[in-house]
Amino acid sequence: MLIGAEGMNRNRRRGGTLTLRSAAAALVLLAAGATFAYPLRASSESRHIPARLVVTDEFGRTIQVPQPVLRMVSLAPSMTETIFALGAGDRLVGDTDACDYPPAAKTTAKVGSVEAPSIETIIALQPDLVLATQLNRQETVAALDRLGVPVYVADPHTVQDVIESTARLANLIGAGDSGQALVENLRGRLDALQRQLSGVPPRRVLFVVWTEPLISIGRHTFITDALAWADAQSVVQTDKDWPQVSLEEMVRLQPAYLVFAGSHGEAGAPSLADLQSRPGWRDLEAVRAGRVVVVSDALARPCPRLLDAIEELARDLHAEVYPENPR
Amino acid sequence: MSASDTRSALASRDAAAPAAELPRLSVEQASYAYAHQRRSAPMFTLSATSFQARQREVVAILGPNASGKSTLLQIISGALKPLSGRVLLDGVEIRSLGTRTRAQRIAFVEQQSQLVFPATVGEYVLQGRHAYGRALHLATEEDIVLGMNALAQVGAEHLADRRMDQLSGGEKQRVILARALAQQPLLLLLDEPTLHLDIGAQVDLLERLRRLSEENRQTVIVVTHELGLAAEFADQVVLLHSGKCLRVGTAAEVYQRELLEQVFSASLDVETGPAGRPRVSLRSRSDGAGPRTT
Amino acid sequence: MRPLTLRRLLWTCGSLVALLLVIIVVALKLGAVPVSVTDLVMSLGRVAIGRSDQLPAEYRLIVFDIRLPRILLGVMVGAALSVAGAGFQALLRNPLADPYVLGVSSGSALGAIIAINVAPQFALATPLGAFLGAVATITCVYFLGLREGNLDSTTLLLAGIICASFLSAIIMFLMTTLSSRDQRGMAFWLMGDLSTPQTSDVRWLFLVGLVVAIGAIYTTAADLNLLLTGEREAAHLGVEVTRVKLVVYVAASLLTALAVSASGAIGYVGLLIPHAMRFLFGSDYRLLIPASALGGAIAIVAADALARTVVAPTELPVGAVTAIAGAPIFIYLLRRRMR
Repeated sequence: MLIGAEGMNRNRRRGGTLTLRSAAAALVLLAAGATFAYPLRASSESRHIPARLVVTDEFGRTIQVPQPVLRMVSLAPSMTETIFALGAGDRLVGDTDACDYPPAAKTTAKVGSVEAPSIETIIALQPDLVLATQLNRQETVAALDRLGVPVYVADPHTVQDVIESTARLANLIGAGDSGQALVENLRGRLDALQRQLSGVPPRRVLFVVWTEPLISIGRHTFITDALAWADAQSVVQTDKDWPQVSLEEMVRLQPAYLVFAGSHGEAGAPSLADLQSRPGWRDLEAVRAGRVVVVSDALARPCPRLLDAIEELARDLHAEVYPENPR
Repeated sequence: MSASDTRSALASRDAAAPAAELPRLSVEQASYAYAHQRRSAPMFTLSATSFQARQREVVAILGPNASGKSTLLQIISGALKPLSGRVLLDGVEIRSLGTRTRAQRIAFVEQQSQLVFPATVGEYVLQGRHAYGRALHLATEEDIVLGMNALAQVGAEHLADRRMDQLSGGEKQRVILARALAQQPLLLLLDEPTLHLDIGAQVDLLERLRRLSEENRQTVIVVTHELGLAAEFADQVVLLHSGKCLRVGTAAEVYQRELLEQVFSASLDVETGPAGRPRVSLRSRSDGAGPRTT
Repeated sequence: MRPLTLRRLLWTCGSLVALLLVIIVVALKLGAVPVSVTDLVMSLGRVAIGRSDQLPAEYRLIVFDIRLPRILLGVMVGAALSVAGAGFQALLRNPLADPYVLGVSSGSALGAIIAINVAPQFALATPLGAFLGAVATITCVYFLGLREGNLDSTTLLLAGIICASFLSAIIMFLMTTLSSRDQRGMAFWLMGDLSTPQTSDVRWLFLVGLVVAIGAIYTTAADLNLLLTGEREAAHLGVEVTRVKLVVYVAASLLTALAVSASGAIGYVGLLIPHAMRFLFGSDYRLLIPASALGGAIAIVAADALARTVVAPTELPVGAVTAIAGAPIFIYLLRRRMR
């Protein structure tokens, strides 16, 4: 009944598996050791640059910027525009897919999206300085930091902040003269606006970032401040930066004007006829009376062109002050 | 030679030999109770039960549903700690054995076995050798030989490389039994193994169990509610009803008509068949005399 | 009868290791910045013999400071998730179990969100918060999953699912009410992303945890084969069921916590790699565990290489690639099971 034990000489093979075992273990250990030992030994080496400027950026980070700054990468559209406005566009070696103004920015080498740029592409461009804003992820900034690339993060909250930020950036990248001229021009225009609009009652507006769902702006954003300079006041006053608000609440508040930043046809700026046919929206007085203002998308970008947009908005909202530009 | 002739020959031979051996299994006053909720009165699923079993003996734990049969079997296997009493295997209390040692001495075939991931029959049967292995429990030559032997004993060596989910119900049950045999246990416990089998397969299984207990010198304990099978194949019957052990003895001793009728709530006739084993048949309720002919 | 032998175990693992090394070299080559294979192999050689300072600077930065750490992280995360998935599938006796089924990823996400909002400038905030959140969830689910003092598979599964939903609801609430300033990173983290830089210390910590946890589960590999045929059956065969379940629960949860803290909740890998390995090599956990670890590492490294190249120079989160590739594979496996 019991089956005889056949093939017992498979025991002979046992010795072979032992050497196999040790060889495999050795290989794995070697590979692991090599790959892990490397990062410990190789620290990110600092480049040997003669002069370095120690600067604190607008996020409170202290960075060392090599001087002069010859190669820059911008990780936000507003930064790209500011650099070109300062006349330093020829020193911009890389920007994001979203950087579309001025037209020259579109031909600059791309490093990816604002949220997920390719770190290695940035490194390959060998920038002396990378410019970022609070639109960029903390992880991106941290990654570049770790690799020894100085990142300057701008964080303007008001229009004045935008102007000061521009001035600081100009000094940082060695465009002090054009910076000063630009800043004076911007400040002058702000003063003019203030004079022209003094005594004019502010318009109550709803600034629409997105229609479905309806997203507006909070009171700590620079857009709110920009609206204030155009003598407009947002009917939404929350602490959250991009609050989702209810349409019914807007109907109750009945803002005098609706403001969109971005040209007709783009996402977020539907045509007037379209709005007038949408339920809920057509209950807004502003929609029924056609008081929908579309200004350039620069209103949403904290860069020098913001002033253009503010002036445009001022003209649209306060036609009585600017009679020569009827809309 | 027919099966029953062999059995009677063996029985008479055993009766002639002096019974000098210690009982393989000794169940002493084992009882069990559990409470549904804490602080409520405990429900006794099993009241103090005792019996003994020898090597090469087949014991049937018999009773209707909810009579405590499975509880008793779980206590014998060591999976349940009895509320009172103890179970001794070759004189050693089984609760004092470690899980590993217990698995080397006692094998349990559960009622149902579901497999989540498919395994081959060979892998499944070799699981029975788990209690003998160390570290990764990789199968040794000895394990493989014993595994094949176990399959041979249940007539399933040809299934060794098949997948478990490709087997028929009967084949699967034989393989499950082979896994239990691979443990080389002293005690083989089966909980209602005949539940889903047709009568031919039931007889087949019990004949096989009888043979195995002889060949392997094992004690086989089968929980069942099948009166006919227990009568035909068991050397000893433990009759349970509502958690109480009513009678322990040979089939002839236990199968008293009034007792059985009370336990199983049915009108029964008990006759004595050849070789002294009782035969049970149904008596129809309408008339009191003899079975109804259709 | 052809049971698992040590020889077969080593050969299979050896082949998978070889495949992993090949994939690593390919992944080092791929990326937004082109790198030639010969240069790469020569650099690796130089590193191995200790002459790393002879490499050109950006090359060193890109390949060794950016890509290699990311790939190594991918190896560890892939191994951790796959072994955790295999472990949970055995513990819960459910082929649909994945590392997140017991709520660990939701707890991590909540921990990460809280940490980001409490200490946004602290670089280690996210991984630490995620890890603590995971540990808290693991502990809660454990106690909820006890039944008469033992871990019960069904109760555990239900407890985990309930915790996961509850925590997800809280996360939704927080994400809509808290300032959106720090939320952008969360979107990537929730998808699963390997681009978060780790310091070398954190990587070593992860490696130690990984080895300890996988080692612990591996000691129960033989027991798990038996456990899958039923808990009572396994106990009768000599398995210490309570101890084994506890070890697997803690180890698999720890692996999930480590992976999620480092890279967010990368989906599908923990579920599908064990099944793929079963399909290729059988259900024996003594082979399945190392095979899953290696298979998971290969899958994540490959997926991440794709994530870095498919819409270069923009980088997709690796979780997006595993989801897109994973869903059809999952459907295919489901249909095979039904036949």
